[in-house]
Amino acid sequence: MKKLDRLGWAEGMRVYTYGVHAGVRVSTAGMLPQISGLLPPGWKNSRRATIQRLYSLVVAQSSRRAGVRPLHILYADSDRISRDTELDQVLAALERDLHRYVAEVSPDMTFLHAGVVGWKGRAILLPGRSLSGKTTLVREMLRLGATYYSDEFAVVDDSGKVHPFPRPLGIREDSTYAQTNYTAENLGATSGVKPLPLGAVVICKYKAGAQWKPAPLSHGQGALELMANSVAVRNDPRQTLGRIQKLVRSAVFVRGTRGEACESAASILNLLSAGNRQEKE
Amino acid sequence: MKEGKYPRARLDYLTREFGDEVLVYDRERNVGHCLNATAAAAWKLCDGKKSTSELANILTQRLATPVDESVVLLAVEQLSKARLLVESEKPVRRTSRREAIRTIGIAGAIALPLVTSLVAPTPARAASCLANGRPCVSNAQCCSGHCGVSSGHCGA
Repeated sequence: MKKLDRLGWAEGMRVYTYGVHAGVRVSTAGMLPQISGLLPPGWKNSRRATIQRLYSLVVAQSSRRAGVRPLHILYADSDRISRDTELDQVLAALERDLHRYVAEVSPDMTFLHAGVVGWKGRAILLPGRSLSGKTTLVREMLRLGATYYSDEFAVVDDSGKVHPFPRPLGIREDSTYAQTNYTAENLGATSGVKPLPLGAVVICKYKAGAQWKPAPLSHGQGALELMANSVAVRNDPRQTLGRIQKLVRSAVFVRGTRGEACESAASILNLLSAGNRQEKE
Repeated sequence: MKEGKYPRARLDYLTREFGDEVLVYDRERNVGHCLNATAAAAWKLCDGKKSTSELANILTQRLATPVDESVVLLAVEQLSKARLLVESEKPVRRTSRREAIRTIGIAGAIALPLVTSLVAPTPARAASCLANGRPCVSNAQCCSGHCGVSSGHCGA
């Protein structure tokens, strides 16, 4: 770390987000506006002298020697976490690691890996790992009028309500894994602001041509699925399970295999409408 | 550590109740288990002092419906497999789901005991990961769990 500290740092910032204090410093001036766009939604400047994690971004200078490709390097504390000739890739690593770190150590919230939309005053959660099709389904539900909460994390507070984490949706538009970021507003939808009680949890996997016929899941089984998608359960199982217990109180759980998102999205939204009707009756 | 001959529930686990079901978290192995109502009721009664036939009798009274010993045996076997019981000197008598269904009848009044287990993810696994072909510096960054040493890219 001392070696890193001795490098010349042009500028830096300290941020506070979900109860976590972190810092970023860069070797080249003028990068902070770009970095600000990668921070977790709702971040604020921190005035605390000590921070929990420090990112150091060494931006490569163009090399005069032929055949030498300059590398941008990112450190989290003293660990090198990314090294690439493309600055965008290194910035994406910064975003990913910071979000994961905050999700892991936040004392205020429990982070579940899930897509989230708001519908009729309740949250619908789509738990799942990367590449499971969460974003595609979220995007389709936004097209049908749902409010955007997240395509990455369901953020759960002590009372069991779901808070927005509206980072731009990373949409893969072709068979490559390259993503283009869109805000909900770019897609003609709105982002949620208010924390919502949970309405439904939909556990689904994609299979081309499959027909969406979800089966109900018990609260215990559903809670187990949420546990298996929670970022900090290994660090703090007591708090994680406590918040999950409050979260699922009045939720509907279903599981199934879906085909195209356009067919299952409407059915999922209807599921919550039906749930609301039953509750009123 | 081996214990007496009757099943005894391990009490060093974190538990949360969801109606009649119980979620049990094993901090040593980082595994979560969901016990359905029948498995949960049986697990709570396993104090190391009752035989499986005694457990069946108590469950019959508590659940106000006949509970055959084969159902308790099935519960004990599943609980033991999930390491939710203190290891017993006497090996768990095996019974199959099919055998239990045959004994209680297909339309039995209670659900067969069921223990579902899932591994708790590491923080890196629970958050977004990189697809194959994306640049990486550590295995934890890749969805595949493999970052090529020479290529510096995620791979299978």
